[in-house]
Amino acid sequence: MVGNCRGPEKRRGPERGKRMSPELYACVYVGEFPAQALLRLNPELATQPVAVLDGRPPLQTVCSLNRLARLTGASLGMTRLEAESIYGLRLIARSPETEAAARAVLFESAAQFSPRLEDVSQQTACSCVLDIAGTERLFGPPETLARNLRAALATAGFHASFAVSANFHTARLKAAAARGITVIPPQQESAALGKLPLAVLGLAEDPAETFAIWGIRTLAELAALPESDLVARLGPQAVDWRKLALGTHSHAFQPIEADFSLEEFCAFETPVEQIDSLLFIGARMIDCLATRASARALSLASLIVEMQLESGHAYQRTIRPALATIDRKFLLKLLQLEIAAHPPQAAVLSLTLSAQAGQSSKVQLGLFAPQTPEPSRLDVTIARLKAIAGDDRVGSPVLEDTHRPGSFRMESFSIANPSSAGKLGESEPAHPRMALRRVRPPAPVRVQLDTLRPVAFRDPEQCFKVAAAYGPWRTSGCWWSTEAWNTEEWDVLAESSGGASVACLLVRDCTRNQWQLEAFYD
Amino acid sequence: MPSASALRLQIEHTLERRFPAAFSPVPRTISETATTGIPEVDRLLDGGLPVGAISEITGPVSSGRTSLALAYLAARTHEDCVCAWVDASDAFDSESAAANGVALRQLLWVRCKNRGSQRQVLVDGVVKNPSPTDKPWARLDQALRATDLLLQAGGFSALVLDLGSTAPEHSARIPLATWFRFRQAADRTRCSLLVLAQQPVAQSSAAVVLECAHLNAQSPSQTVLAGCEYQVRTGRVASAAKTLHLAGQRKPPGSVWSATAAAQRSAAAQREVSA
Repeated sequence: MVGNCRGPEKRRGPERGKRMSPELYACVYVGEFPAQALLRLNPELATQPVAVLDGRPPLQTVCSLNRLARLTGASLGMTRLEAESIYGLRLIARSPETEAAARAVLFESAAQFSPRLEDVSQQTACSCVLDIAGTERLFGPPETLARNLRAALATAGFHASFAVSANFHTARLKAAAARGITVIPPQQESAALGKLPLAVLGLAEDPAETFAIWGIRTLAELAALPESDLVARLGPQAVDWRKLALGTHSHAFQPIEADFSLEEFCAFETPVEQIDSLLFIGARMIDCLATRASARALSLASLIVEMQLESGHAYQRTIRPALATIDRKFLLKLLQLEIAAHPPQAAVLSLTLSAQAGQSSKVQLGLFAPQTPEPSRLDVTIARLKAIAGDDRVGSPVLEDTHRPGSFRMESFSIANPSSAGKLGESEPAHPRMALRRVRPPAPVRVQLDTLRPVAFRDPEQCFKVAAAYGPWRTSGCWWSTEAWNTEEWDVLAESSGGASVACLLVRDCTRNQWQLEAFYD
Repeated sequence: MPSASALRLQIEHTLERRFPAAFSPVPRTISETATTGIPEVDRLLDGGLPVGAISEITGPVSSGRTSLALAYLAARTHEDCVCAWVDASDAFDSESAAANGVALRQLLWVRCKNRGSQRQVLVDGVVKNPSPTDKPWARLDQALRATDLLLQAGGFSALVLDLGSTAPEHSARIPLATWFRFRQAADRTRCSLLVLAQQPVAQSSAAVVLECAHLNAQSPSQTVLAGCEYQVRTGRVASAAKTLHLAGQRKPPGSVWSATAAAQRSAAAQREVSA
């Protein structure tokens, strides 16, 4: 590895002779995570002072708040009553589901820069440390990596602080204490941590009080104490505290597997009734999902919309575009049409948008292939058609494997390789055959018979004289089920009183002995 | 001495404001046609129905309109084209379509809703609605909106707007602006829009109007309806070539073609045996 690095090092000139540190860690620290998790999908709240309440009513306290809320005088640990007395402060209940979804997004965004990631979250902060040793050739120097990481997290809706160090705990402590990006050079850990207060170590009450009595308030002061005397007075754990203060505490890295699940969750402060409001949040969710999928060179093959309704029922719809895509406008349009066609029956308490990843689809068009609808546009068109005519009334007819006359089912229409469909499907167009025009539902008619053959029939309007009747053609089936049929078909050429001649299909239901006008030949 | 081409350019330039391209011949567009799948009708239309235009197939019930439209769709789907059928009265029969050779997987069927207890009745061979209060405006509106969407989406080689079971007094109330918009969209997307109706409705927007009529039934054995003979006449042809072709004739040319029902009957006979 050293031999491979020699070339670029020579070209850099001033950096020649520097050895790559065997360990390098970048810590991402997202403070006030409960508030950030709730605000990332509600950008309009970012300009308002917001405090997040935790606990059971009436013992709720403020557990997290944004910068504007601090400016209004709010602070952590305030009771709900105290927080409500602050004018303009927006109070939101803490949502563990939203935080879990946001944490997954955060880790997944960070995992783009290193697959080795350890969760070091504490209290209301979400934090992770990345092992970035050896990533310099991929992502550039640590400063560049940190900047790119910050941009990626900002896209996902997080504001975080970053620290890069060769020591795991140094990076962790510095990121929690300092804002922005801090890159600590090797052997400078002690100096970088020196000014931090002792509280960053999270000491228990007794040793913290002892240090306060001794007048030790910063890590630099702790590091200056002799180790043997410290151990003699505070016990063996004091060695760890001193090493942490010096930036030399070792750590066995325990990477976690960042689950790749495309899911976004948002719990609403108040039940939402308007579709536009849902779409506003949905658009943001689709943005996040598409960004995360595209970061892995994937597309969204399907979207699953789940809502928890105020009535206690759950709402779920699945949107499947013909081709996997990350086109945000297109997906949002499909979502809009789907929700408009199937609106939730009650106000919405929470919205979950999950997606199945699929490979980005490329369609190779033939030079001499006939024109076909553009898949994405066809999806929107069919969704609109379904909104007009109904879900089950738009699609391709498929003949059922039965002898029952006129049986078919509707399947969703898709353009699946028309060239192969043409070869596998029907053969050459045959000689034209008489087509039927169905009367749905069949119209009951009164039929006059002569020697069991129809000679005239009448519908509610007028009489028809039968010129010729061909039949009967008897069919029956499914006698073992409730779907049984037993009919007698007659092809009838008839003439109305006005002189118009028609060819139609009269059917007698033998079970109920009823005549029906089933179809016209046309 | 200036050359002829220079003189021509000079004159054209001088008269440009009053007569654009005075000496340049107007390019004659060759109207593209697609076969209907019925040789007799193709001969009548000099090749077939126009592509990217509105064609009307009109006639009363049992005049062969649907069979003609299905034959056209069968020819289109056989060429791997994608087609659509907008069914204003939910009368499409998928078995007939399959028997005529239509690849159903390449056919998008839009079944407009039948609201209430709408029942079609025959009055002098014309399908009418029984009650004046029970009018098919909702279905017509759905059919027109669906047609508009499909035409605007593009990619469909043929689109059938089936108003065959809609009473003429209702379909005649479709605004001309709608047909004009359909014509523009069909021209832009190269989609052949076939309108099945009892009487012509698209008027000047239709490139071709075919008038169908029932001629007689074929029943050699007097026990089976083997088929029907239909008559087709061109009621109106908008293209220049057609106008020239029809000049001097008192009556538009006609054609007779037949459709058989033998396959259906044989299938029915098989069903009877199996039952």
